[in-house]
Amino acid sequence: MMRRLLLVAKRDYLATVRTKGFIVGLVIAPIFMGGSGIAFALLRGHVDTRDRHIAVLDRSGVVATELERAAKQRNDEVVFDQDKHEKVQPAYVIEAIPPVADDPDAQRLELSDRVRAGDLHGFVDVGPEVLHPGTNAATSYLRYYARNAAFDDLRNWLNNTVNNHLRRSRLTGAGLDEAQADQVFRWISLDPMHLVSQEAGTGEVKQGGRQSEAEAILPPLVLLMLMFLMLMMGAAPLLNSVMEEKTQRIAEVLLGSVRPFELMLGKLLGGLAVSLTGAGVYLGLGLFALMQAGLMGFVPVEMLPWFVVYLFAAVLMNGAWQAALGSVCSDVRDAQSMTLPGMLPAMIPMFVIMPVLKEPLSGFATVMSLLPPFTPLLMMLRQASGAGIPAWQPYVGLAGVILTTLASVWLAGRIFRVGILSQGKLPGPRQILRWMIRG
Amino acid sequence: MNAVQITGVTKCFGDHVAVENLALAVPRGSIYGFIGPNGSGKTTTLRMIMNILQPDTGSIEVLGESLRGACSARVGYLPEERGLYRKMKVREVLRFYGELKAGRRVNREVDEWLERFGLLDRANEKVETLSKGMSQKAQFIATVVASPELVILDEPFSGLDPVNANLITKAVLDLRKAGATVILSTHDMGTAERMCDFIFMIHRGRKVLDGTLEDIQARYGQDTVRTQIEPAGAGLEELPGVTQITDFGHLRELRLQPDADPQRVLEALMQRGQVRHFAVIRPSLHDIFVRIAGDGESIPEGGTE
Repeated sequence: MMRRLLLVAKRDYLATVRTKGFIVGLVIAPIFMGGSGIAFALLRGHVDTRDRHIAVLDRSGVVATELERAAKQRNDEVVFDQDKHEKVQPAYVIEAIPPVADDPDAQRLELSDRVRAGDLHGFVDVGPEVLHPGTNAATSYLRYYARNAAFDDLRNWLNNTVNNHLRRSRLTGAGLDEAQADQVFRWISLDPMHLVSQEAGTGEVKQGGRQSEAEAILPPLVLLMLMFLMLMMGAAPLLNSVMEEKTQRIAEVLLGSVRPFELMLGKLLGGLAVSLTGAGVYLGLGLFALMQAGLMGFVPVEMLPWFVVYLFAAVLMNGAWQAALGSVCSDVRDAQSMTLPGMLPAMIPMFVIMPVLKEPLSGFATVMSLLPPFTPLLMMLRQASGAGIPAWQPYVGLAGVILTTLASVWLAGRIFRVGILSQGKLPGPRQILRWMIRG
Repeated sequence: MNAVQITGVTKCFGDHVAVENLALAVPRGSIYGFIGPNGSGKTTTLRMIMNILQPDTGSIEVLGESLRGACSARVGYLPEERGLYRKMKVREVLRFYGELKAGRRVNREVDEWLERFGLLDRANEKVETLSKGMSQKAQFIATVVASPELVILDEPFSGLDPVNANLITKAVLDLRKAGATVILSTHDMGTAERMCDFIFMIHRGRKVLDGTLEDIQARYGQDTVRTQIEPAGAGLEELPGVTQITDFGHLRELRLQPDADPQRVLEALMQRGQVRHFAVIRPSLHDIFVRIAGDGESIPEGGTE
């Protein structure tokens, strides 16, 4: 049995890794997955440097002049790169518009039309009582009108500039001089730090050092993305591969030599070998590059054994279901309709990355990561986050994953052995369940 | 000893009875023809012999072993539709199938068969580049390369020109000569008549014929007249004792009632034209097949075991 199993696995493995598609995929997949980050990094320097014309309807009489001053100061400081002799940021051009008292709506409409015509980037409407806002919101407002006001970078600048000026004005109005007012608003940043530790041998206290956001987010995210990618490479293709072998009558010939369960298991092992190859290439190259760059300190080495164990389980568990689903399909359309249900166990964890990463110790993160289909991805994400999850959780999660993987392979095998020879209409969930129970 | 012994086998798919209470014995070293219309239960029977499907009731022994997969390595199967990995190279796919079946390397055997079938120069090309006839030959090699004791061939001649069909025919006869048992499923009645020692026909899941060609034809007696009459378009309606006329263009076959007198038929024909050919013959296998599957004619006594 073992020889036949390995033969099927070897054929499937070579059929995948020998293709140009696999090699191209190895290169392209991480580019796609990290595409947005790379695009952001590449395009970060490409700023739209066209001037931003902002009209200000200052009903308070204390804001427009300050905005003109602040804009001029900003323009002098950041718009031109003196070394490169080129414009690197847009200039903010403030245009103070005297407010019309009798028909403010008509004036707002007129300014909105100027924005639509491209004459203005946006306009600010400043309420008359913003300096000393009472309880009447109708007179102490600050409104920014633009095409995309909510996501406009200018909104932050306007917000900060106007509010800093108003607070400073309030304090000087209360008797503080300008220098004291600046002191009041001095902002001191809260630095993220590593925990302080003690050297085992010397007893010397070792400072934690500053922690960066990238350092906290990248290792768990990279491991998660890598495992997701390996599932796409090793497990997901089994659906189509089994469907093709069935529709091209290859399965019928193979079943003359191997049992259905051996065939499925052989294909699973082939898929696992593909995943391990991909992971080996990425991890090998990644670690080599980090070592060359002297960044090995950022690598959560203790996570690598967990990664490999989770990868084994995830590929076998997902692959078994993909193979079972593929076996019930009789054509490409059937396979397309089965793709989404087959992918869900791998996709759901991707939808909850941020809430789990932000609060790895929350009840939601704990429960989700202990659900066996999601454990490989989410428990690994929580472990790699460095949040210090309870030590028992990865082991309980792993036990659940191993049991679920064994059950998945066994149950999928029961579906596979009926499905692989069935023809015609796609069976419904009830029928598949019957195959699973009766075999 | 029989190569295949089927006893009281029934197989259902849901409410549909695919094979009903089937009994069959395939002697070792014979070529056994399986015939029957589409959907009659042939492939289900073959798959049960292959142990791909299990019968609901009854038992099947293959090469002296009761089923449960024990003997699949000794049985080769060529399915009706080609089942080769299209993206693999010819030699690689044949080695894979052979090794999977035999449990050992079969590199030498693969090259011998490739040479015998004139495919050696295509050995390193992908299966998808082969013509239909070449793929059929490659599929045949995949079936027999592990030297199975029982070879099951489902429509082995489809898509083959006469030269390649002869190659396969010769290979099948050589396999039999070497001691293998061959089950040959075919829709080509001429092939079944020429090659098979025994013929088994299944219709609507039930065995309707089983025996040698001579036995089967003997059960129908000499109830057929083959004739050629000029002019070719001469009307043959209302001939005495003739129940059915099959026009082959050049020749016509007349089926006679059991008590009809061929002499009177000849006299009637002579009155309608010049009789060039007149022979009282046994019905062909093709004719018997059509009578059962097409006309729903009942089987004469002794037609089934």
